[in-house]
Amino acid sequence: MTTTRGNRAALVMLAFIVVGVPALIIGYQYGLRPALADHRVVDIEALAPENGGFSPDVVRVEVGETITLRFAADDVTHGIAIGPGLGIDLGHVDPGHVGEVTFTPQEPGTYTYYCNTWCSADHWRMRGVLEVVDPNSPGGVNVQLDPIIEALGAASVDIDSEPEVAEGIFPDRSRGERSLDTVEVPPSLRDPDWRLSHSPAEGLEVLQADNPDTPEDVLVDVVAYLWSETPPTDEISELFARNCAACHGERGRGDGPGAATTLEEPVAYPEVSWHRRGDIWYAKIMRGGMGTDMPNFGTLFTEEETRLLVDYLRYLSFTES
Amino acid sequence: MLLSRAFQPVAMLILLAPFVLAVMAGLLGTSAGNRNFGIVFVWIVWWAVLMVLLVPGLGRVWCTVCPIPAPGEWVQRRGIIGGAGRLRTRGLRWPRRLRNMWLQNAGFLVLALFSMVILTRPSVSAGVFVGLIGVAVGMSLLFEKRTFCRYVCPIGGFIGLYSMAAPVELRVRDAQVCVDHREKDCITGNDRGYGCPWMVYPGKLDRNLDCGLCTECLKTCTMDNVVINLRRPGADLAKPVRGNRIDEAFKALIMLACSIIYPAVLFGPWATVKEWAAIESFGGWLIYAAAFLIATLVVIPGLFWLAVAGGQRSCAGGLTVRRAFNEYSHALIPLGLAAWVTFSVGFALTNGSYALAAISDPFGWGWDVFGTRDVGWTPYLSGAAPTIQAAILIGGLLFSIRTSLRVGLRHDPSGETTLAATAPIAAFLLASTLALLWLYLG
Repeated sequence: MTTTRGNRAALVMLAFIVVGVPALIIGYQYGLRPALADHRVVDIEALAPENGGFSPDVVRVEVGETITLRFAADDVTHGIAIGPGLGIDLGHVDPGHVGEVTFTPQEPGTYTYYCNTWCSADHWRMRGVLEVVDPNSPGGVNVQLDPIIEALGAASVDIDSEPEVAEGIFPDRSRGERSLDTVEVPPSLRDPDWRLSHSPAEGLEVLQADNPDTPEDVLVDVVAYLWSETPPTDEISELFARNCAACHGERGRGDGPGAATTLEEPVAYPEVSWHRRGDIWYAKIMRGGMGTDMPNFGTLFTEEETRLLVDYLRYLSFTES
Repeated sequence: MLLSRAFQPVAMLILLAPFVLAVMAGLLGTSAGNRNFGIVFVWIVWWAVLMVLLVPGLGRVWCTVCPIPAPGEWVQRRGIIGGAGRLRTRGLRWPRRLRNMWLQNAGFLVLALFSMVILTRPSVSAGVFVGLIGVAVGMSLLFEKRTFCRYVCPIGGFIGLYSMAAPVELRVRDAQVCVDHREKDCITGNDRGYGCPWMVYPGKLDRNLDCGLCTECLKTCTMDNVVINLRRPGADLAKPVRGNRIDEAFKALIMLACSIIYPAVLFGPWATVKEWAAIESFGGWLIYAAAFLIATLVVIPGLFWLAVAGGQRSCAGGLTVRRAFNEYSHALIPLGLAAWVTFSVGFALTNGSYALAAISDPFGWGWDVFGTRDVGWTPYLSGAAPTIQAAILIGGLLFSIRTSLRVGLRHDPSGETTLAATAPIAAFLLASTLALLWLYLG
């Protein structure tokens, strides 16, 4: 029965199937494919944080080096973005699909790739670090201090102090806008930087000094308008919806679907906005709320985005109150 | 072609390639099952082809080409196309107490209990494939011939059972030729082929259950007495069951029970049950496992036992309930097969489009070999599927009722007691069908 020639051919075929095919596949994927690419391709597995998060979670690239990042969502739908300031948002990547982006970073610094779609209870921990290093000083990555947070520190302002709840005050920016022409507004209240570092309650004191005969409720509304003067753009409301609404709620009232899972109850902005300084909110967003489950967004948002977000919180606070 | 020594090994080799690819994809590829070749091509494409085309149309033909026992068999034979000399095996006889389908039943139940994980997690799936090959190789080294396929393989068990309904059979032309032929090359083997690897004597083969269609006896028979016939579907089902084959009856009952439980878990509205089946919590899975085993081993067999006993009591047919339970269990085969075809048709139409993406990017590495990587999920014939499924189920019900009547008529050719004996069984079959129709049509 021996069929030597047939057996030899079959053995060759078997060796090819069992050894050759796997070797070819692995060799192509991990050897030939990267070698043929004209720039570096990094495959990143994206899993919910409970299942491991991003892998790898640190990618290092040089300024001016073109790189392709390929994010493979393996468990649930993730939204992949890279920030701050890179403007990269791959949108939804469904399970089994791959979202990829090719770019050439120009500024050294630490960036974050992150999930911006509610993917699990620990969604907020789903982050990875993109280190863009200057080849002339490869040892270090630029870490710039934030002047607003530095100023708070210098003034010994306690960022983590409990917010004071406004009682008996119902500011309404729409009424305030209508009353604006009837009051004398001092220049400081027109200055966005001054407003950022002062609460509306402090602004009311200044406004009352200049308008002693105007009823307080009118001045409250005017202050509400001034503190939410910047009209929200679609980009900022989208930023809020993607990153904040899950816990703070669509209207910022602390009633998002994730509110039940956080260590502390998420802030309801309309309740605390009157006595809260904007730079404290800015710092909270950038740095995170220590021990509250409020994550930091300083690695995701630019300073400008964060300031606009603070304005948006005021807008939510003083609308439909 | 069937007489060529190269036919079966080459077919196995060809199928070994996608099998190796499936294992590799499971171990190295994306963990998203719907984009992983290992999941998509085994549990959607292969399963649909097996259950919708191969088993109903060609019976055990999958066992002819199955790559799982191939490495073990080639090691045993010291060659692929044909070996030389003695088989490399301890040649142990399989214990007499295990020469039945109980291990296959148990193996299938174990796979079924973990199926939500096996069917969705590529690495687990790959582990099962490698495990099956490992067991097959190990058994080939220890035991004679295809002991693994005949007595252990959980897939071969139900393929064998349902192949009895297929319109294809391997038989001898004239049993007397076998009786008169002293050499019995089909058992001992000769220079043209091996003695039956499935340890079956073709001369007495009257059912498809145990014949693996390996084609060795076609090659070794010097009397040209072995043939493959086309026949009336289900020709084996009304034949008498030799001996006590309660294992076979339970195989039919387990398969029918699973064909009801699977769609209930996968497509039913009970999210909690699905979570339990997916082992999202161990406690939940324990509840699911207990309920599953009670349903498959106690409730459904118990109801069928009551139906058989009720029929026998009312007709005084002269059969013991145990004997009738064995005999009438064959009536479950057409409906069980129809239920699995229904399940597989729905599964394939709903999820078949994943195959287009998976064939272009089998590992989820971003390849696009055939330009179909980004083809989205598209259910096919979603409007017509329920009608097709209902037609298959009703066809299976009628076939099953007819089988039970044929079994009844064999025991009472006058037909006087047949209706009384089979009415409770028909009611059991009808209730099972209604449950399935409810699950598929809502």
